[in-house]
Amino acid sequence: MLSLVFLSAFGLVFAFMSSPAHGADFALRIQVKEQFRDANGKADNQPVAGVSISVTDATGVEIGAAETDETGVVVIPVPEKADYTITLDESTLPEGAALDPGSPAVQTVTEDSFVTDTRIVVFFTGQSQSESQTFFERLSQRILDGVRLGLVLAMCAVGLSLIFGTTGLTNFAHGEVVTFGGLVVFVFNMAGLSFLGFLSFLPGVSEQGTFHILWAAPIGVAFGGLFGWALNAAIFSRLRRRGVGLVTQMVLTVGLSILLRNFFLSRFGGRTRPYREFTLQRSWEIGPASITPRDAVVSLLSLVILVSVAVVLRYTRLGKATRAVSDNPDLASATGIDSERVIRLVWIIGGALAAIGGVFRGLDEQVSFDMGGRLLFLMFAGITLGGLGSAFGALTGGFVVGIMVEVASLAVPTELKATPALLVLILVLLFRPQGILGKAQRVG
Amino acid sequence: MDWTLIIENSLKGLVGINAVYFAVAAIGMNVQYGYTGLLNFGQAGFMACGAYGLGMTAHYFHIPMWWGIPLGVLFSVLLGLLMGIPTLRLRADYLAIVTIAAAEIIRLVVRSVRFKAYFGGSDGINNFSETFRKVGTDLGIRQSAEYGFWPFRFTGRELWTLTIGWCVVALFGFIVYQLMKSPWGRVLKAIREDEDAVRSLGKNVYSYKMQSLILGGVIGTFSGMIFALDRGSVQPDNYSRDVTFYILTALVLGGVAKVSGSIIGPMLFWGLFTFVDNFMRQIAENPIRIGNFMILQSTQIGQLNYMLIGLALILLMVFRPQGLVGNRKEMAFDGR
Repeated sequence: MLSLVFLSAFGLVFAFMSSPAHGADFALRIQVKEQFRDANGKADNQPVAGVSISVTDATGVEIGAAETDETGVVVIPVPEKADYTITLDESTLPEGAALDPGSPAVQTVTEDSFVTDTRIVVFFTGQSQSESQTFFERLSQRILDGVRLGLVLAMCAVGLSLIFGTTGLTNFAHGEVVTFGGLVVFVFNMAGLSFLGFLSFLPGVSEQGTFHILWAAPIGVAFGGLFGWALNAAIFSRLRRRGVGLVTQMVLTVGLSILLRNFFLSRFGGRTRPYREFTLQRSWEIGPASITPRDAVVSLLSLVILVSVAVVLRYTRLGKATRAVSDNPDLASATGIDSERVIRLVWIIGGALAAIGGVFRGLDEQVSFDMGGRLLFLMFAGITLGGLGSAFGALTGGFVVGIMVEVASLAVPTELKATPALLVLILVLLFRPQGILGKAQRVG
Repeated sequence: MDWTLIIENSLKGLVGINAVYFAVAAIGMNVQYGYTGLLNFGQAGFMACGAYGLGMTAHYFHIPMWWGIPLGVLFSVLLGLLMGIPTLRLRADYLAIVTIAAAEIIRLVVRSVRFKAYFGGSDGINNFSETFRKVGTDLGIRQSAEYGFWPFRFTGRELWTLTIGWCVVALFGFIVYQLMKSPWGRVLKAIREDEDAVRSLGKNVYSYKMQSLILGGVIGTFSGMIFALDRGSVQPDNYSRDVTFYILTALVLGGVAKVSGSIIGPMLFWGLFTFVDNFMRQIAENPIRIGNFMILQSTQIGQLNYMLIGLALILLMVFRPQGLVGNRKEMAFDGR
């Protein structure tokens, strides 16, 4: 019962967030930016003025047309949320400027993508600097990016794999646990929880109830652990007690994922938003690659956390018990291990690690309602590669998949960079279904 | 509150085109999930095969639209093999993971700029369904005229798609019903209950599972075709992961391992969905406020609907995993 109370309390926390702006006026806010990307892809964008933009609706009727002002912005009001096509007249671009290949002159927005009343559309001109880089420079940059993604994936995947190992459940809602962590931190960091204003005597806490990221992040992680615990206590432990089949539980996690994702969408909106302390930083050059100090700190922290997880699993009693339950739940119970307790701990730790992954991902790529859902497939690829159910496998597998996906973007278009992960998934299942670290055993 | 309108729309939702294409896809999924115990979370990928099979005839191959049907079936057989070969010898979860991934990759590929020449990018493909409409017009259905009686009033355009759609539902419903009564179907059900027992009887379990996966996928392909013909367009984002999940919810709502369930489920799903959606939209016209906090805003109704779908799926799995007309004993299988 307590767990149900907790789950509803989470809902209330989110309810305090400012809900998306509303009103009768809908508009498209179109921005044209000249990008000056450094090797890291993150740097300054300059507005481009005087570019003609026109908007047509789904039937091809023109809704409006205008030129961008000196801030590179044009706002075109539209009658309703619907599908629109936005066309940039390339002949009106300044001399020598051209649209980035990744940003076509004709963009479409769909009705569903209007989460608030204003839909933002961005056109980028200019070339990213990657053209002028040598292959070796690009490769090292991608590997560095891959390490960052891999660390986040590994962190998120440990919980997924441990839960699978100890209970046999593939949790399709694990991506939403990641998002949950990222969003809770956002709520504490940005939303202004005025009832917590009395904490403003602490450094980094404002009177409006916003917390510095260094406060918000640990709070988010604690909430992530609680969330994992609550999911187990409210739903899954009961189902296990009732002897509900695993397939049924798995389909249930799908429902859970739909519920949570749309809940996040309704409270948070469809936009990607940064944390307060998310600022553009000057990159450090490390040999041929570059990394911002923020990303470097995040990566180091991830590494420390992952190594500690591995150490805990390897050497402590709890870790040994967890691996014993993963290996053979019945035998573990017979040797006196309280497997329900282990499973509870696994949910808590898995939830907390997923939340850390969410926060780090949020610092890296900003937060959105489906940030975790989009990682889920990569996590699956990672834990399958490493061996389903093995925690060390999830660590290595997630890490390898992260690097591979980023490096693959050298060869395949960025929009398709997740494709090689599917290839790995299929190849691993064909030739070594137990994964690189799994024991050779029948998994069929 | 205009109850007449709400009820009219809901009743139309029961038999509307959404119910049709969900029903066809659910019949397919039922072969896999209900009868064989296979978790195919990539039904949207199979639907995309059908839709793009039709669309590509006009967009890329420049051949008559009807070739799209064998083309779509071919695509989905290939997809079924791709999903099935690595996974069907393994535990049930692997198929779920690979299907969910493959369907997502298909969506990414068809909406990519790189393959725009083949699949039309994120705009999708339009202007291929004229041949289909023309058959209707030749049969004397005027596209813009109104047919039917209260509450089932449809334009000729809708009526034509609906007629064909329900025929397809009936056809596949009949085929699956007959198949499941046959010895072949009994093997599938036996695999769901105890794979090892079936293997010990000398049956090639792997091959049967593959046939089931592909049969279900091909039926799903037709669902994608009906949807594409109704819209007159193919949009990559109509084949997202969530579509599979909603179809699964509809199937579980109706009843698993019953042909009737896979048809009743989608009808009920869309009837209820339309009802709730219309009901909430009418409430949102006069928003309820508590202080500054608005209970319901029209912008949130979409998400609220989908949250309810998720909640419904959770509750169904907890309290009635076999669905309305299903048999609980048939849903006791365990993936491990």
